[in-house]
Amino acid sequence: MIRLFLAALLFSLWPLTTAVAGEKFVVLLDWFTNPDHAPLYVAQGLGYFTDAGLDVELIAPADPNDPPKLVAAGQADIAISYQPQLHVQVAEGLPLVRVGTLVATPLNSLVVMADGPIQSIADLKGKTVGFSVGGFEDALLRAMLARYGLTLDDITLVNVNFSLSPALITGRVDAVIGAFRNFELNQMDIVGKPGRAFYVEEEGVPVYDELIFIAHRDRLDDPRLRAFIDAIEAATLYLVNHPDAAWKLFIEGRAELDDDLNRRAWRDTLPRFALRPAAYDAARYERFAEFLKDQGLIEEALPAEAYGVELR
Amino acid sequence: MSQLDASSSASLSAHISGATLGFAGRALFDGLDMTLEAGRWTCLLGPTGVGKTSLLRLFAGLAAADGNRVVTCGDGEPIAGRVAYMAQQDLLMPWLTVIENVVIGSRLRGARPAYERARELLDSVGLADRADDYPRVLSGGMRQRTALIRTLMEDRPIVLMDEPFSALDAITRLRLQSLAAELLRGRTVLLVTHDPLEALRLGDRIHVMAGSPARLDEAMTPAGATPRDPADRALLVLQAELLARLAAADGGEG
Amino acid sequence: MSLLRPLIVCAGLVGLWQLLVWWSGVPPYLLPGPGLVIAAWFTHAGLIAGHALVTIAEILIGLALGTALGAASALCLAYFRTVRPWLMPLLVISQAIPVFALAPLLVLWFGYGMASKVAMAVLIIFFPVTASFFDGLRRTDPGWLDLGRTMNGTALTILRRIRLPAALPAFASGLRVATAVAPIGAVVGEWVGSSAGLGYLMLHANGRMQIDLMFAALLTLSLFAVALYFTIDAGLRRALRWQADT
Repeated sequence: MIRLFLAALLFSLWPLTTAVAGEKFVVLLDWFTNPDHAPLYVAQGLGYFTDAGLDVELIAPADPNDPPKLVAAGQADIAISYQPQLHVQVAEGLPLVRVGTLVATPLNSLVVMADGPIQSIADLKGKTVGFSVGGFEDALLRAMLARYGLTLDDITLVNVNFSLSPALITGRVDAVIGAFRNFELNQMDIVGKPGRAFYVEEEGVPVYDELIFIAHRDRLDDPRLRAFIDAIEAATLYLVNHPDAAWKLFIEGRAELDDDLNRRAWRDTLPRFALRPAAYDAARYERFAEFLKDQGLIEEALPAEAYGVELR
Repeated sequence: MSQLDASSSASLSAHISGATLGFAGRALFDGLDMTLEAGRWTCLLGPTGVGKTSLLRLFAGLAAADGNRVVTCGDGEPIAGRVAYMAQQDLLMPWLTVIENVVIGSRLRGARPAYERARELLDSVGLADRADDYPRVLSGGMRQRTALIRTLMEDRPIVLMDEPFSALDAITRLRLQSLAAELLRGRTVLLVTHDPLEALRLGDRIHVMAGSPARLDEAMTPAGATPRDPADRALLVLQAELLARLAAADGGEG
Repeated sequence: MSLLRPLIVCAGLVGLWQLLVWWSGVPPYLLPGPGLVIAAWFTHAGLIAGHALVTIAEILIGLALGTALGAASALCLAYFRTVRPWLMPLLVISQAIPVFALAPLLVLWFGYGMASKVAMAVLIIFFPVTASFFDGLRRTDPGWLDLGRTMNGTALTILRRIRLPAALPAFASGLRVATAVAPIGAVVGEWVGSSAGLGYLMLHANGRMQIDLMFAALLTLSLFAVALYFTIDAGLRRALRWQADT
């Protein structure tokens, strides 16, 4: 089993060994290419990276848990990750820091069947909730349930490992947490089994950035980082100004992404991209750290500099 | 030396007539008749592949002749269930101890094994202290002796033996021949063998099987009680004649 | 049985592990050293034990069920020739399809409880057990079968007294393989969908960057798998003590 793990890790490192040796700027996505990554592909398509002198390589991992480890190990320059996980990673001693924001709102939501019996969070009592392994669903759920006087003991948590929609649709679970409102909801809609979403930030969880750019704490003086974020900023503006043209750039050379689901997700994600990706809201991060500490996920809520920086 | 008294089971003759058997497109034998005289040893010799083993298997009920000819016994009943079989390999089952191997027949029939008698028999051939050993630690001679005891244990009137001693060295072979002659005295025995001397030591009637389709020649009937002395001059004369018959059988068709 | 040598081997492996960590300078969130893992083991002993019991149950039940199913299939194949062209392809397919592809389906059909993990384990060991046992049954020495028939053995007594013991060595080989891979089935099942077990714990720990806990769970699983194998092996060797060791 250790062999499997190490082999998988080495396998994912393979393309990076050449990348680090050369001038490549290696960017690890958080998941397979999807509309959450629009600014990156727009920037790539418009040549913003090359204009900034960056030879960017975008890599999609098989396991979303790997990119932070790989950046921490110096095997990649920048990765897309999640703010909540960043707090936990910093607490575990990984030398990571947020250098930019991609999606400035939460995307996580608790989803139930629209025609199902669950009308409010209170109805979750005695029910089964599926999650993929984000490592902090408990914290979200605990906070959401607490507002209705419920605890985690009132529900059954089941790891469905990213198979969220099928688990919900087949009735194997009564609700899922960790579903992205721009994705799973559309997925369910398309197969004719619409869902109802409870947005976490409306149910007692402080607002946070769902997708962020993280880099190694000791590499912050790399000028390419700010150049990268600037290119993202320019691409995001293009997205806002020319959404249709931007879509064409997204699917150029990636015809397999030109389907109903991605088109709907694109439309729902557009308003959520950070218009000022480099800007760092320190108070917001400290507030979320406090929240995680209250939920017992981290021992200490560190000051904002421990979690993120605003690159110059 | 104790032996199973043959008088407890009356001697039985066995007979097959008009046996026809084909093998790989050619007829092994066609309309063959053979009788095993009650209480006597019948030996069968012949070139390899002539069909001796097939004929023995017919008697054993392990093969069926074409036309469903059945082997009948002297009392008119079929032969099924009245034979004990001994092959060239000792067929001892490696997962059973010696004594368990000896009583395997009862177990297969769902009957209670007679361990007392089994131990007596083993003792009579000097294997009493090996009763609880596994076959793998025994010598070839010991193993075939065990097989002989197993055969005896079956207590059947008809015993069919297919070259049981050919895998043993000369001295062990002679010893086991004598042993078999003693232990199986009074039973109806069919012995298939390659060794003319063995046939002459043990056989009351000796046939050479030859030809394609095979036929039995006229029986040679040596005089004297078995086991006969290999040094006996008369025996050596008969052996020469037997060898001549065998050579003719082989050279003729080969 | 002497435990000294296996213990020395284990100690050697642990030493090598520590050396690897020191020499490569790999950070603890990728590969923690044995000290950290053992510390995590003691810290979370209760948690690990609870999940371990679940996985152990899955493995044992899966092994028992899979072996029974495999044995029954082998007997069918041996005795009913007409079944062979139907059953053999199924057998091969069960082996050829990567379990990762089947796991989500099994979880969907059997739910997130133990049943799907047991089903995974059964699926993984079905082929080794059936194939080896069938092979053994097929190759019964015809001499013994001849002897059995002349002794008036019935089909049942011949099966029980001759074919089964004769096929036992082949069956034992299959069972050994099954014992070694059954844990994989259980854990893969847990990775795909579960609420308890060492596989579940490993995923959870990984998600929270508690890599030392993840390795502690992994270590526990490995220890159990090894202990299970040696236990079954000892049992088989005892049952086959009549065999010569060439």
